[in-house]
Amino acid sequence: MNTNNIIEIQNVTKRFPVGETEFTALSDINLKIKKGEFTGLIGPSGSGKTTLLNLIGALDIPSEGEILISGKNVAVKSDAESALLRNEHIGFIFQSYNLLPVYSIFENVEFPLLLQKKSKAERKHAVMQALDWVGLSDIANKKPSQISGGQAQRVAIARSIVKKPDIVLADEPTANLDSTNAYKIMDILKKLNEELGITFMFSSHDSKVIEYLRRVITLEDGKVKNDETK
Amino acid sequence: MDTLYNIGLSFRLAFRNIISSGLRTWLTITTLSLAFVMILFFNSMYTGWEYQGIRDQVNWEFAQGQVIHPDYDKLDPFTIESGHGNYEKDAHLTPVLIRQANIYPDGRMVPILLKGIPADQQIVELPTQLLKESKVNIPALIGLGMAQDNNLKVGDAILMRWKDKNGTFDAQNITIAGIFETNVPTIDAGQIWIDLNRMNQLTGLQQEATYLLADAEYNQTTNASWNYKDKEALLKEFYELIELKRGGSSFLYGILMLIALIAIFDSQVFSVFKRQKEIGTYIALGFTKKRVTFLFTLEGTMYAFIATVVGSIIAIPLLSWLHEVGIPMTSNVDQSRKMGITVGEYIYPLMTPELFTKTVFWVVVLSAVISYLPVRKIAKMNTVDALKGKK
Repeated sequence: MNTNNIIEIQNVTKRFPVGETEFTALSDINLKIKKGEFTGLIGPSGSGKTTLLNLIGALDIPSEGEILISGKNVAVKSDAESALLRNEHIGFIFQSYNLLPVYSIFENVEFPLLLQKKSKAERKHAVMQALDWVGLSDIANKKPSQISGGQAQRVAIARSIVKKPDIVLADEPTANLDSTNAYKIMDILKKLNEELGITFMFSSHDSKVIEYLRRVITLEDGKVKNDETK
Repeated sequence: MDTLYNIGLSFRLAFRNIISSGLRTWLTITTLSLAFVMILFFNSMYTGWEYQGIRDQVNWEFAQGQVIHPDYDKLDPFTIESGHGNYEKDAHLTPVLIRQANIYPDGRMVPILLKGIPADQQIVELPTQLLKESKVNIPALIGLGMAQDNNLKVGDAILMRWKDKNGTFDAQNITIAGIFETNVPTIDAGQIWIDLNRMNQLTGLQQEATYLLADAEYNQTTNASWNYKDKEALLKEFYELIELKRGGSSFLYGILMLIALIAIFDSQVFSVFKRQKEIGTYIALGFTKKRVTFLFTLEGTMYAFIATVVGSIIAIPLLSWLHEVGIPMTSNVDQSRKMGITVGEYIYPLMTPELFTKTVFWVVVLSAVISYLPVRKIAKMNTVDALKGKK
């Protein structure tokens, strides 16, 4: 294990049951992602991008193979260990933002810190800093239903980075946004990658996202077709 | 410490989640708090009735216990004839002798129980001093129910016929020296009380009794061949009656409770179905599935917590007020007394801390169980599908 590799994917295959047969979403994937990379998984729908992100995020387990995060195999972790890993080391950005509707923007961003039992003062400082990074500190008291899609995605970004995770996994982060907002989001993410050193991994087929990526991994039919560093 | 923090956090989140759910939450809470108030109301009423009934029966009829002649069975009128005998005197025992007799009000023959009790007794609240103070030949006490049924009033003389110890019928006029009002119909309906000494003379049954009323210091050393029943044993039938009534009314609040629990169940099914994306998000942010299940169960249980708080705000002042003013039972009291049931004209509901705690406990526990049933599904939910909000 190279200590520079924050993610190592070794011979990973993922199959899903479809009726009485199985569909192979990923087939024998091998990848290494270094700390601080700004990497994207691209490919057509059904190529396995989201499935691979879910496996890395310990939201699902591979049918075969190993996924090592900081040298530890996430596939063999218990539910509690996986939850701890997600809370402390991984941030998620989803296509449809997935903000908790009954909480304010501040509380949504604060949520991962509550689970980490941070003090109130620490939480407040970290949340305001994260909202500053995404330019939303002035709407901290609003509810998700009161803000635009672009703002909601920026809140989701703030939530994903507030705990300063090692990795942020972003699944089609610009898919629901117009071009202006999409570029704004990618600018923010790039800045966070450069300033905080967080490893970003995207799944996308949006050309605007691809423009920003330093490493592009192309998936097709569940296999790595191309792996290119710009 | 971690567990406490996690539970505290779950409580905060659950509270926020249900308060933010709006009308649905308040409908469920309203139904549940209504059921809670009804449970408290009915149980307080029966507890109040029970306390009043015990007090009245002890004060008017049972004293602290009774020593009963072995041949006498109060449920069998045929045993009155032979169910009496000589008794050992004891400062802690007051004798009562029962004989069958007839009176003739308005030319009708009415069978009655003639009871003799010492006129100077103080063990029960019967106003027997009136017998002592009266100068008439045979002064008698009757209850208000008996007076109304037979159209009798104080000072009325009425012919009474009885059998003496040899089986010979005697008849004389008795005079109503007093009419007492009691909530205990078993010392009122169809009964006439006279001084025991006078009764001994009328019947020839000297130093005999059917049962003996015991005070708290009676130690069961005298009259050992008679059957001693303490007041708890004597009150057994009354307790059974209260439990029967309590059981009957539990049907009503059981239905209300069922409606409230169905509302909680429905909210929970709806939550699990509608909030899948939220469930997935909790898991992605670091919750275990077990913890999400706990959070959702807590949300359902919190309906019960809030309902008990809302219900208490209504029930505690309401029942305290009713405890002071009482609930009039005038429509039922005559019928109940005719059936021999001890009931006052007012029932004063009594909510004991035990009743309150028990009610809160059961409402919360039942709500927790009902809340858990639909959310068990979360443990088997696919997180990825949940995140996408797949139904």
